[in-house]
Amino acid sequence: MQLTGLLWGSKLLDRVEFPHSEVLGPEASPDEIKALLKKCGTVFIKPIFKGGVGKKGKSGLIGRVSDLTAALSEKERLYFVEHIHGTTRAKADGVTFEGAVPAEHEVYFSISDSTIFRAPTMTITHHGGVDIEELPKDKIAEVPFDPLTGLKSFHVSNALEDLGAPAEIISPLVQNLPKLWTLFNNYGMSTLEINPLRMMPNKRGRLVPVACDFKGSFDIDNPAWKRLDLPSHLFASDYSEFEQEINQLRTYQGQSDVFIMNEKGTITAPTFGGGANALVTELLGDRATISSDFGGNPPYAKMNDIARIVFKYWLNQSNVLFIIGGKANNTDIYETFRAMADALKDHFKTSPTPLFVVIGRGGPNLIQGLSAMRDTLDGLKLPYRIFGHDSAMSEVVNFAKRADDWMSSGGSEKVREAMGL
Amino acid sequence: MHKEGVSKFPWYVGVNSLKEMATREDRVCVLNILGTESRSVTPVSHTYSGGNIVFGTGPGRGGQVLETPSGDIPVYNSIREGIKAGHKFNTAVIYLPPSGVKDGVAEAVRHNPDLTKIVILTEKVSLNDARIIRAICQANGVDVFGANCLGLADSWNKVRIGGALGGSKPDESLVKGSVALFSNSGNFTTTIAVYLLTGGWGTTTSISSGKDVYIHYGPKEFFNALDNDDRSRAAVVYAEPGGYYESELEINKPTVACVVGRWKAKLTKACGHAGSLAGTGDDAKAKEGWFMDYFGVDDIYTPENPVCSAKGAVVTNIAHIPEALTAVMALNDATPDFEPEGTLALKCWFSSDAGITGIPDDLNPPVVRAVSPYGEQIEALSRQIGAHFPRERLKDASGASMMDPKTQVTKIHNISILDASKRSLEENLVMSLLRGYPCKTGAALANIAFNAFVNHSSAPALAAAEASREAGNSPNTVATSAVCIAGNKSLGTAPEVSALLLELFGGSGIKKASDKFDFSALLKGLSADDNKLFTTDEDDPAAQNITAALDALGAESVFIDFVREAAGGAPSSAALLSGIWTTIAWESLIKKRISKTTIKNLPWYSRIFSTIVGCSVSANKQAADTFCGIPVLELTKEWSFTETAFMAIVGRRPDEKELFEFSTLLGLIISNGPGTISAQGSKGAVSSDGPEDPDRVQINKAFAGFMTHTGFAHGGNGYEAIAFLMDMFRDSGLTDPSDKNHDIDLKAISDKYAQWYGDFKAEQKAVGNLQYKKIPCVNHPIFKGKPVNYDPRERFITKLFEEKGIYNVFKDFYSGLVQSLFDTGVSKNVYCVNVDAVIAVILLKIVWADYQAGDISDTDIETAAFTTFLFGRMIGCAAEIDDHINRGKNMDTRTAASKCSYVG
Repeated sequence: MQLTGLLWGSKLLDRVEFPHSEVLGPEASPDEIKALLKKCGTVFIKPIFKGGVGKKGKSGLIGRVSDLTAALSEKERLYFVEHIHGTTRAKADGVTFEGAVPAEHEVYFSISDSTIFRAPTMTITHHGGVDIEELPKDKIAEVPFDPLTGLKSFHVSNALEDLGAPAEIISPLVQNLPKLWTLFNNYGMSTLEINPLRMMPNKRGRLVPVACDFKGSFDIDNPAWKRLDLPSHLFASDYSEFEQEINQLRTYQGQSDVFIMNEKGTITAPTFGGGANALVTELLGDRATISSDFGGNPPYAKMNDIARIVFKYWLNQSNVLFIIGGKANNTDIYETFRAMADALKDHFKTSPTPLFVVIGRGGPNLIQGLSAMRDTLDGLKLPYRIFGHDSAMSEVVNFAKRADDWMSSGGSEKVREAMGL
Repeated sequence: MHKEGVSKFPWYVGVNSLKEMATREDRVCVLNILGTESRSVTPVSHTYSGGNIVFGTGPGRGGQVLETPSGDIPVYNSIREGIKAGHKFNTAVIYLPPSGVKDGVAEAVRHNPDLTKIVILTEKVSLNDARIIRAICQANGVDVFGANCLGLADSWNKVRIGGALGGSKPDESLVKGSVALFSNSGNFTTTIAVYLLTGGWGTTTSISSGKDVYIHYGPKEFFNALDNDDRSRAAVVYAEPGGYYESELEINKPTVACVVGRWKAKLTKACGHAGSLAGTGDDAKAKEGWFMDYFGVDDIYTPENPVCSAKGAVVTNIAHIPEALTAVMALNDATPDFEPEGTLALKCWFSSDAGITGIPDDLNPPVVRAVSPYGEQIEALSRQIGAHFPRERLKDASGASMMDPKTQVTKIHNISILDASKRSLEENLVMSLLRGYPCKTGAALANIAFNAFVNHSSAPALAAAEASREAGNSPNTVATSAVCIAGNKSLGTAPEVSALLLELFGGSGIKKASDKFDFSALLKGLSADDNKLFTTDEDDPAAQNITAALDALGAESVFIDFVREAAGGAPSSAALLSGIWTTIAWESLIKKRISKTTIKNLPWYSRIFSTIVGCSVSANKQAADTFCGIPVLELTKEWSFTETAFMAIVGRRPDEKELFEFSTLLGLIISNGPGTISAQGSKGAVSSDGPEDPDRVQINKAFAGFMTHTGFAHGGNGYEAIAFLMDMFRDSGLTDPSDKNHDIDLKAISDKYAQWYGDFKAEQKAVGNLQYKKIPCVNHPIFKGKPVNYDPRERFITKLFEEKGIYNVFKDFYSGLVQSLFDTGVSKNVYCVNVDAVIAVILLKIVWADYQAGDISDTDIETAAFTTFLFGRMIGCAAEIDDHINRGKNMDTRTAASKCSYVG
């Protein structure tokens, strides 16, 4: 759950009275844009991307204008612009108009949890405005702090002094930056980054830190973000329709994590356990429709719901239904397999489809669970191979891939024929 | 701010040697010990570890115990209470839900100065809480394992603390050896231990670290403790992307590192382990590089490319761990701990080609006998007839029914009641017990079984019902009186015959009752006593009726044939009943949909259904060989049970459309899920008899439980809507409710009523009465709030009837009424007509002509409405009763005293 840009970032910053540049949304009228231009001189036009889009690849995607005609032309150019970085693509949906902030100093600031310090950690540099990873280590201060007391003024002043930051920026930053911990801590954030933070002189000539961009992510396991009353569509692009449907089942009893790997994949693999998830998804590669972890001993009803949704979205395009996990410690195999078998039966009532079923699993009530699935598969006239936990999981994955190959090269038709479809 | 621990760390670390990680001296307190997961895991841990759990907590559950094979573990309301009672512990294990974990940690630290370790099993603990947990424990000198981990285990000490490492049989996986394990994955901790056995390696200490963002006891701490453990010669580490926990390690013993998850670099959000979301420098590739640097190798170890050094090897597939470890240890002149046990080669346990030819050889691995004890279990299962359901607590839970809270549609055995409403009563009764619908012959056989026993003339059950009726009781109480007489002795030899058929034909290989089978040898093997079970010395007219009906039907059944021959051609009705039900149920039994218990009980259920329907008819309509004036032979041979039930209520045989409407009506009433009062009554009756000894459960008493848990507010309330409609149409001149051209101005009636109701409502509100009378069957707590609202169940039935060309003027009136209520401003939007209205309009339509003719009274209609409810609901409750007998536990529906409240 990520949020980038000032359109919504400014609303978060307002919660802790942290200054930010003036920002208008895509609905801004020409008069409003004109007024912003008059006030700030220069206005930046930035595309709005939902979810997390980093600085990388954004070059050329920001317009800088000083008159209304140029502003409207840049709006047209950037409104639906596409951001491409590596294999990920994101399409803009609107633009913001952000007043320029004159400043001599640009600061980078972030809070996140450091696995090196094992504590919440402030990262700060007065060489901001660039990608933080491009800076040498000695120009960056990383300061862990106690979450019980939070980020304090002295953390900021000590860090800036150690970095040799100009004296005039220290005091305003010391006064303002701890507010961001309040935002981070009170609303369930997992990262918060402001880059750049421009030090703008106020009427009295004193510098004021002004956030000119915002990036944050929220911990899905912490409901505190709901207090922000952000519209749910902000995070909608983070999750596909399928993932959203599965996420509704997210409770603490049993995992229900899914990620779409390849919308055209041919192996659908309900996977049990975080380790199995890593191994199986790695080995299946692009053949996998989804990556999933349904371990953690889900009760029958939850497993049945999950399986229904997974089958609804992915089974009819799949060659292989591959149910895989290690030797479960506590997940009841009978309950989970019975739930999946019932969901499969239901799916086949309306959408029978040729499938090769491959299963690898171990754990409590194993034989009862495997038998329940076997009886169902017999009833549905599906070919299957079921392996115990004493077969190497990687070999079972390779077997599923071979089954996929066979199904792709004519096997599917044979199964279809035998099923009378 | 942290307490001083092992000095080489910049933060607090307490456990300095793996030897100290999980010992027999550790004493454990389990928080939320009676939670679902703990209930199954903790008893195994406690027993495996020699009884190391001193107590558990559960707010409000003080005084209870967790039963384990090593004795009961006491439960206290809080840690403070447990400590006050004199218990001491150094380790807390937390099974609390995520929002309670931080508080649990604070409680344990605050109240127990002896605390040194906390193991957190809970998944989805928020980052905010993880930070605070760390801060609290650092300040107080406590090592934290987890969250989202499976805890610690030590094969030398035979101790496991926390979760289920090694599963339900830890000895199978946790075999004493020389390898220490540290794994981000709980499941892989056990899986790797099992894999190591195939290389001849056992384990010392196993740590499931979890893979949340915060790992408190990480690889750095693990390798320090490894150095100080003289039992451990080597280590295996399983690591996933995300976090710098594996960077800058100091590794001094041979180690195999398994790094999995290169693909996770594509992730933009966590999938699986919350902490497995890598940044730029901590992805799988980076981690492989760190380990390769430690070991001085330049590639990943694979069987084809076995790159390793004496320091270690890096693998990306857990299956390669045993081989890599052996190779690394060989370079250290070390041999495995014991002879390798098994292999990791593919072992196919079950296989089917489903009749497909041409599946290539590489997809046809031979089916092998599974490793012990699974091979034996598969063998036993293949011999096993029928399903074996694991028992569990079924309070407010059911394996038979569930209601979808969104649609309010209940499913029974996964069949929506909307679909069930398209089936006949007899089909639904069979489905309730066999978890699937019978074939046409099966339904015909069921009709014979039901109708043959529906006449209760001069039977004690009818006398009881009659006495109850005369005493002024409601229909449910009357039926209860009758059912209470239907104890198991009233079944004659039917239970014994069913059991004998099961025993004799269990190993026959017969898949369907219509299969050809030569049972002559079985017949010869019957003892004289066995033969007696199939006959009776008493007058048995039902046997003659059944025989005639069976002959007329001509169904092929090995079981019925056997019964007839075993009885020397003159079987008793009890034996025939068993033969019929074994015939209907055999396929479900073989497909393991039902248990042997169910098939043995079917004659009893059958007789109870006959009793409920039969005794709803007064004694003066039943004679020695007629029921409502119809010869019982004709009923048995020619009538469906739905027709009989209709006649029991209305007094005549239905026409085709009425039969369809009546079946629909009964289908809609089947169930509202396990929470409904009638289901609770039946389940409570089973629970109190003790289903763990299923032969002791009195099925007739369970039906009494169902029916005594219906009443004027539940079941009898359908009459309210009927009374309302009778009021509306009393002077309308309506003769035929099914005639669309009725010439009645429905809108005028509904507008007039809406106007009156609006004034009435305003008046009542003005005098402060908010409990004013509501219009029955309009509006619904779920299906509301839209400009125009619909109950999807009502829509379904309306469409079904439209398709069949069935018109119902009362239904038409209801649809208009909700519009009138809106038009006159009584409602803010157009209410839905709810499903109860559908039930009322169907029944009223059926009885309208008789009512208009004065053949039945208002009271008769009220009785008819209630009785109809009982007939429909007995389907759902039969399913609940059978499910609870098969899967429930003794007294499992009771509510703990702590959850009850006194409101005096």
